[in-house]
Amino acid sequence: MTEKIDARPGADEPTDLPPPIISPDSVPDSMWRIRWALFRRSFAHNWKLFRANRVGLVGLAIIGFFALLAIAPTVLFATGIWNSAVYDPVVGLEPNPPVKVMTVVNEITDPETQIDFRHVLLDNRIPNNIQVGEQVEIPQQPAPPDRRHWLGTDPLGRDVLSQLMHGARAAFFLGILAAVVTVIIATTVGSISAYFGGALDSFFMRLADLLIMIPFLAILIVIGAIFEFKLWHLAVVIGLLSGFGGVAIVLKSQALAVKVKPFVDAARVAGGSNAHIIFTHIVPNVMPLSFLYMMFTVTSAIQGEAALSFLGLLNVRISWGLMIQLANTQGYLLQGLRYWWLLFPAGLAVTLISAAFFLVGRAMDEVVNPRLRKR
Amino acid sequence: MTRYVVRRLAQMVLLFVVFLTVTWFLLYALPGDIVKQKFAMNPNIPPEARQVAIERLGLDKPVLIQFRDYMINFFQLDFGLSFNQYPRKVSDIIAERLPRTIVLFLTALVSYYYAGFLAGKYLAWRRGKRGEMAVTIGGVGLYTVFYPWFALMAIWLFAAELGWLPISKFLNPDEWRNAPFTANQVFIRLFVTVLAVSIFMALVVLLANRIRDHRPRALAKVGGVALGALLFVWYWWGTAGGALMRPYAGDIAEHLILPVAVLTAVNFAGIMLLTRSSMLETMREDFILTARAKGLSERAVRDKHAARTALLPVTTSLVLAVATVIDGGILTETVFSWPGMGEVLVTSVSNEDIPLALASFSFIGVMALVGHFLVDILYGVLDPRIRVGG
Amino acid sequence: MSAPPLLEVDHLVMNYVTEKGDVSAVEDVSFTLHQGEALGLVGESGCGKTSIAMSLLRLQAENAVFKSGEIRLNGENLLALPEDEMRRHRWKDIAMVFQGAMNAWNPVYRVGDQIREALDLHFRPRLSDAEATERISRLFEMVGLNPAMANRYPHEFSGGMRQRAVIAMALSCDPSIIIADEPTTALDVIVQDQILQELKKIQRELGMAIIYISHDIAVIAEVTDTIGIMYAGKLVELGPTVEVFARPKHPYAYLLLSSTPSVTGPRRKLAPLEGEPPNLLNPPTGCRFHPRCPFATERCSIEEPPMETIADGHRVACWNWREVPVSIAQEARP
Ligand SMILES: Nc1ncnc2c1ncn2[C@@H]1O[C@H](COP(=O)(O)OP(=O)(O)OP(=O)(O)O)[C@@H](O)[C@H]1O
Ligand code: SF4
Ligand SMILES: [Mg+2]
Repeated sequence: MTEKIDARPGADEPTDLPPPIISPDSVPDSMWRIRWALFRRSFAHNWKLFRANRVGLVGLAIIGFFALLAIAPTVLFATGIWNSAVYDPVVGLEPNPPVKVMTVVNEITDPETQIDFRHVLLDNRIPNNIQVGEQVEIPQQPAPPDRRHWLGTDPLGRDVLSQLMHGARAAFFLGILAAVVTVIIATTVGSISAYFGGALDSFFMRLADLLIMIPFLAILIVIGAIFEFKLWHLAVVIGLLSGFGGVAIVLKSQALAVKVKPFVDAARVAGGSNAHIIFTHIVPNVMPLSFLYMMFTVTSAIQGEAALSFLGLLNVRISWGLMIQLANTQGYLLQGLRYWWLLFPAGLAVTLISAAFFLVGRAMDEVVNPRLRKR
Repeated sequence: MTRYVVRRLAQMVLLFVVFLTVTWFLLYALPGDIVKQKFAMNPNIPPEARQVAIERLGLDKPVLIQFRDYMINFFQLDFGLSFNQYPRKVSDIIAERLPRTIVLFLTALVSYYYAGFLAGKYLAWRRGKRGEMAVTIGGVGLYTVFYPWFALMAIWLFAAELGWLPISKFLNPDEWRNAPFTANQVFIRLFVTVLAVSIFMALVVLLANRIRDHRPRALAKVGGVALGALLFVWYWWGTAGGALMRPYAGDIAEHLILPVAVLTAVNFAGIMLLTRSSMLETMREDFILTARAKGLSERAVRDKHAARTALLPVTTSLVLAVATVIDGGILTETVFSWPGMGEVLVTSVSNEDIPLALASFSFIGVMALVGHFLVDILYGVLDPRIRVGG
Repeated sequence: MSAPPLLEVDHLVMNYVTEKGDVSAVEDVSFTLHQGEALGLVGESGCGKTSIAMSLLRLQAENAVFKSGEIRLNGENLLALPEDEMRRHRWKDIAMVFQGAMNAWNPVYRVGDQIREALDLHFRPRLSDAEATERISRLFEMVGLNPAMANRYPHEFSGGMRQRAVIAMALSCDPSIIIADEPTTALDVIVQDQILQELKKIQRELGMAIIYISHDIAVIAEVTDTIGIMYAGKLVELGPTVEVFARPKHPYAYLLLSSTPSVTGPRRKLAPLEGEPPNLLNPPTGCRFHPRCPFATERCSIEEPPMETIADGHRVACWNWREVPVSIAQEARP
């Protein structure tokens, strides 16, 4: 099974980075300088390859766009352009929503606004003893976009754009934390398994087999039920699951390919300790592939978060998943395009950012894995 | 091959025991005594249920004994009583829901695997031509789309707006008011007939592939498929039992279309993209050149050599896809309020119905493991390097 | 050699179109091949040998463009044929043992079935199961394999066995020409020799023509009648193997031969080629060898030397072939 996950040819091929330098362990200083020079050179080289891939660049641009969105609220609140009483994503409220005046003909006047009307009645903002023939003023919430709220407001009168921005922040925080945890664990586990082999290796690989087999979301749902899930808990759990799971398998086979390289033998002959060899020789050579899997982890972390929020199993202030959940449970989504500002922003955001990280990952794959390149 | 199967089977059983152990310790034996706390604090649980459950689970006994009892009970398919649907047996609920999820899972898996493979094949063959870029972008979009959102949009479009299909649920209760059958009876009958017909068609096609001449081969395939379809029609329209059940079966089938289609569409893209790159890599292999040099037509090179070999990595990816499809199934069932295992898991977890949650999670695990096992076997069948002397 | 030639390659010019420009991989190459003849094509890596071989089957890469020239099989220009007619010639008339033929087998089908595929395609009426099995068994015996192996999968074969099976497959439709592109490079020396000897024996027995391609002149010297030396997409010398070995006339051939250690004779001083092989994106003007040629004169960098017949069946493309010493005479014989 271990081999099969990696059936994608080339994953265990050496990358086409400049070859690492064989060096005795006595001169770590210059060693690192050389490594740095090599890194810079390979970075420039790889960046050139990456740039050749237009789709990857599009992905980067989308990520940049969302990063700007994530930073924006800080600026907007600090400069006072946004007032937190109105624009806070969770407790903000538009005090003067657009108002629609309607005459009560029957229980429900305007089939168009059925939901609002019932909702408002439930809200007790309008006297229950209202008579047929009377006029009522119904605050429009959710309200369509206007100058103050570029993406309108949600059913609770909160600014959708602000929610979207804060959601971006949550997504980056979650995705990056999960990816970092994944990569640290997977690189370590992969390198150690490859280097030592034996029982340690079998243990980690069996564990990984188990983890990739179990539906991710099902585990998250169950764990989410047991513990109060905060965003960073979720990030760490996702990091653990994929770090000990599939990514470890891929990185291990890469580490195996590195392990048999002459410079590792040279280091061993030169008397390098195991830890030293793993961290100065094997890990750096597994790195490029780790970065690649970071991208894919970000994608699955963001999707996992959104799904859990959507199911209402996550204790999070605001996130894209939560926005969709709210709109859905209140029945706005099935109204389709009429409430497009509730339908599109969050759903598209999750989709776009996942696609962006995925595309960047694919483009990096072509850099790391020369076999995939166009001829 | 037998050795391979036996080894895989042993591995699966072992993994399953490990899985159960981990799950159990996670839920029962973790510090803080989550289960007990939930019992004590959960007002939803009827007092007698609480007592029964505490006794049944032996929460006062030592941990290892509890664990042993749990394992024994599990393999006797005794999972206790549901808290929320008290006093219904958890095993009854599972027995009702499991077949549904298996159907959802199987139909989606088979159709997306097949469709994705076909699409990827043509995409690879049309490399560099017009439309390829658009399809690739569309594929990536589908692959990374936020699934519940996509499903909701599909519901809105096809059910709410166009009204072609029912919005959600397993069946339309109005039509079933005086039904002489239970939903499960009809559902199982439907499932069995479809399965039988599909197996028949698959067998015919496989056998037909042995015919060396092109025309009789194509004829045999078309004939076999037509005959299968005819048998199906005959059963549901021609026989008395089938005709009686047909309207109800139709209702269930109608409710099944949208969930399956949505689940298929999303997973389809991944297979398509993978098949494409796998094909592109295969087409650079030397044996493709050999096949061309032998004078094979481009079509034969593509279908017999490139696609057949590119199928291997695609099938490998199914190993991962099993889990993904189950995840997708959980979301599908929730979005469509379609009562299967996933929906049970989510609701029981939200209601803290621990026995039901544990059992449904374990069965989802079983499904994943069995799916995994089947994919492994399929891989063995497809790749002689595994099958022969593997 | 009065019979009409089986295969004539006539002033063939082929380029690869790339983003960086055209790669001039085959430049004005002409040679003929007669029934039963064994021709060798030799040259350093990247000089266009495989490009020629692929052109003969019209299996050139997608970005390849034929600029001019003809490839005539029994007088019929293959380059002018529609694709489906060309397909009928493949394997039946010209079969090929590919470079790196170790991977020539599709891993998912039995070796016998892959041979059977070619038989089904080219034999009319189609062979019955029994006939096909019988034929495959005979082929396997011919190349020294146990006929029972035909039911095995490629991964159950060793490298040498796979190569023999490839030869069996190449022979399966009784082609009149076999192209063997580096047929043995991936194998160890002993197996290499065995296979070459066997191929030679079979070729003599069946009387087919064969084109051997190699970058190592010593490997194919023993098995060829005629040898062509290629340099940077051009055929620079073509003549009877014995003649070329004894008295190479082209400076490149001369240097190549004098840098090949003789197997039998005393060790000679090696005179390695200096400089890099030329970049075919932008080949040198005039004679393509001039930047590395010790005999080069001013004219060489300006004017392209034509193929000049210097003896019966011995042609050279060099302005100064008369200057090339004959010193390596006898010892160069392998
Ligand atoms: N598809 C292609 N596109 C562009 N250039 C190509 C292509 N195929 C081959 N070339 C170039 O054409 C030249 C001739 O290649 P060819 O494979 O014919 O050489 P060769 O003599 O067979 O070399 P070797 O001994 O390494 O097999 C080389 O310089 C190669 O780089
Ligand atoms: S033509 Fe001139 S450069 Fe070319 S091989 Fe002859 S002597 Fe050398
Ligand atoms: Mg070659």
